[in-house]
Amino acid sequence: MTTNTTLTPTIRRATRKSLFWMLAAVFLVVVALTVVSLTGAANSGGTPFSATNAGPAGSKAVVQVLRQRGVTVSVTGSLTSTITALGRDRRATLFLYDPNGYLDQAQLRSLTGSARHIVVLSPTFAQLAALAPQVALAGTVTKKSLASNCSLPAANRAESVTGSGTGFRLIDKTADAQQCFGSGKRVYSLIAVEHLDGTGVSLLGTTDVLSNEHIAERGNAALALNLLGDSTRLVWYLPTIDDSAVTGGPSIADLTPPWVGPTMTLLAIVAIVAAFWRGRRMGPLVVENLPVVVRASETMEGRARLYQRGAARLRALDALRVGAIDRLAAQTGLPRLAGVDEVIGRVATLTATDPGDIRLLLLDAVPATDGELVRLSDSLLELERAVERATRPS
Amino acid sequence: MAVSGWFVLLLALGVLPVVVLGDPGWLMAWLAIVAGVGAIDLVIAGSPRRLVLERELPKRVRLGETVPSTLFLTNAGRRRVRGIVRDGWQPSAGASPSRAALDVPPGERRSIVTSLTPFRRGERAAAEVTVRSFGPLRLAARQASIQVPGTIRVLPPFNSRKHLPSRLARLRELDGRTSVMIRGQGTEFDSLRDYVRGDDVRSIDWRATARRSDASTGSGPRLVVRTWRPERDRRVVIVIDSGRTSAARIANEPRIDTAFESSLLLGALASRAGDRVDLVIYDRRVRGRVQGTTGAELLSRMVDVMAAVDPELIEMDWAAVPGLVRSVTNQRALVVLMTSIDAPGASRGLLGMLPQLTRKHTVVISSVTDPSVLDASRARGNRDEVYRAAAAERAMLDTTRVSTAIRQLGADVVTGAPADLPPALADRYIALKAAGRL
Repeated sequence: MTTNTTLTPTIRRATRKSLFWMLAAVFLVVVALTVVSLTGAANSGGTPFSATNAGPAGSKAVVQVLRQRGVTVSVTGSLTSTITALGRDRRATLFLYDPNGYLDQAQLRSLTGSARHIVVLSPTFAQLAALAPQVALAGTVTKKSLASNCSLPAANRAESVTGSGTGFRLIDKTADAQQCFGSGKRVYSLIAVEHLDGTGVSLLGTTDVLSNEHIAERGNAALALNLLGDSTRLVWYLPTIDDSAVTGGPSIADLTPPWVGPTMTLLAIVAIVAAFWRGRRMGPLVVENLPVVVRASETMEGRARLYQRGAARLRALDALRVGAIDRLAAQTGLPRLAGVDEVIGRVATLTATDPGDIRLLLLDAVPATDGELVRLSDSLLELERAVERATRPS
Repeated sequence: MAVSGWFVLLLALGVLPVVVLGDPGWLMAWLAIVAGVGAIDLVIAGSPRRLVLERELPKRVRLGETVPSTLFLTNAGRRRVRGIVRDGWQPSAGASPSRAALDVPPGERRSIVTSLTPFRRGERAAAEVTVRSFGPLRLAARQASIQVPGTIRVLPPFNSRKHLPSRLARLRELDGRTSVMIRGQGTEFDSLRDYVRGDDVRSIDWRATARRSDASTGSGPRLVVRTWRPERDRRVVIVIDSGRTSAARIANEPRIDTAFESSLLLGALASRAGDRVDLVIYDRRVRGRVQGTTGAELLSRMVDVMAAVDPELIEMDWAAVPGLVRSVTNQRALVVLMTSIDAPGASRGLLGMLPQLTRKHTVVISSVTDPSVLDASRARGNRDEVYRAAAAERAMLDTTRVSTAIRQLGADVVTGAPADLPPALADRYIALKAAGRL
């Protein structure tokens, strides 16, 4: 009995064959995870002004220095934990940065009652309206450097800071406010006001002051440390999407029966299995060398296109004429080597036409346009047909 | 492994418990149940690896004919093998059906017949047999591809054999003709026979007549005439050009296939006429050679050699052809060159070599003409067609010029459309034989 070679590898053989690549893939994943965990998110931007972000946009540097100076910094991500961290004694400072506006008016107001001093970085319109209604946004400030020019101790110590960020303008002239780092036209980058319930609110527009990348420039560090380190406890609060108030009606998940989700999952699995069912091949493809298909008339077609592209009318017509003269000579019984004059004479006699006309058609006419070429070729055919009629034995 | 449609259906039925019982936990339970049942089915399916396969196959088939290929499957395992078998033939082997159902109990043997109708000449091979064996529930299957090599040689069709009987009849008519009708130097004396009315009086052998009348006892002298027959045991050498120009297709048939048809008809005819036929297929090296074979074996050897030859994309080396012919025979022979005569430039090698051959041999050059060129030269309806007609006329002029040059060098030219060339070449052979020019 013969023995056959099975080409499909067994599971064991397939595993052994791909073992190296599987190990290599695992090794690469491990290396990648290690590298990411070691370098942290330093290379990427990370969350801006996050207390744990050591990247250029983060604020780990200032938080770290504050901690070394004995300030207790607690980092929070939700409103409830922030209020818990602030405690009830109203002695802590709150840092708030909420560019996406997750907090609504009521939530913002609930913060003012708990903190002694709130530092708001780049406040939005809604945040201004809730925390400092006497101040309005005044557009972007692009100056390189801003001098303090005010009596606020934290600003005085800094003397000058990096200017880029947003500016504010005091719209309620009667309000008690300290305005620092002016950039002209009553626009200031730091305004400290008093909230109605006694909480101090500092609106900080120069974002570079806190970022790791720029904190060492000018008086940035001095301003940041003095502004945030004015009490022994600091709560660093960056609101997240969990803080946003629930709006709208019930979601689709609330409205549909509980089996819809599992059914969708099951149908997706069925689709994948069906794809495997239909896609599984009955063995490998069989290879075969196929011949090249070259039509012999390709050269003729190519030459015709060349004639046409180059408008070689006379050359084309001459080819037609030579063929016609050969056929006419054979038709009229002349020898193959007969001259064209003999052919013209014989044809003129047979068809009873003027030899000059036939000479013009067979030799002299030069087609100037494609239309003329078609007309001459038709005349050649007509002449051949006439000669055939004349010579055919009836 | 593979799964069946039933498996997919079973999985989809999981919608019922999930919807009716309303508990999302049923999803995982159902998935586990289906996976478990599928796994059990897969494990108890008969292993296709335990099959022993053998193939029974004819060695040759003429193109266009159908032959059966039988596959024997013996189950050497302990479990029944049920499922589908695919015999992996190359596409142009024309295998049908491509899939077959299979059910072999352990220790038994089944056969599967696949009919092959190849649609291309050459060696057609089967790569492997793929068996998909389902479990008893027909949910999951094991699959394996098993190597069972098999090749079949697809021979040229020899469609022109339909012309053979008429040509043989004409050949027979040449026998027994009187000398006047075929007064050639190559004719041989055949026999003496009685004069019948209509015989040429010049062929009467008076001496034999006198002898005959001596012996005869009856009514006066009976006239005897000499008869002649065409010469026998001449050499015919066929050289087929398998270079790049032979790959071009005319009427969807490569030139080389027409050359094969022509040489098969010529070979059949010449071997019946008592001549010795040798065949060489050449481009820059000898691609096939049939030499020293006579009788019925000649044709089978010829088709066998031709079957595997395809044109190569290289230029024909004409300079080597005289040496090639010399290596086949030293005697005077009819040398038939199967090539294409297109343009004067492309035929320079052929024209340069011809005098060496024509000095000693009778040379016939057979070339396929394209009927579409002739049609194109007549169609002159619009501007595009007129330019095409001009190009066609130019092509025909080129062919005529090359043919004239070949004739001036002492060789003969036979041209024709693919269907007409083989009988035309056979007719030329008969004409040469009748003229005693072999």
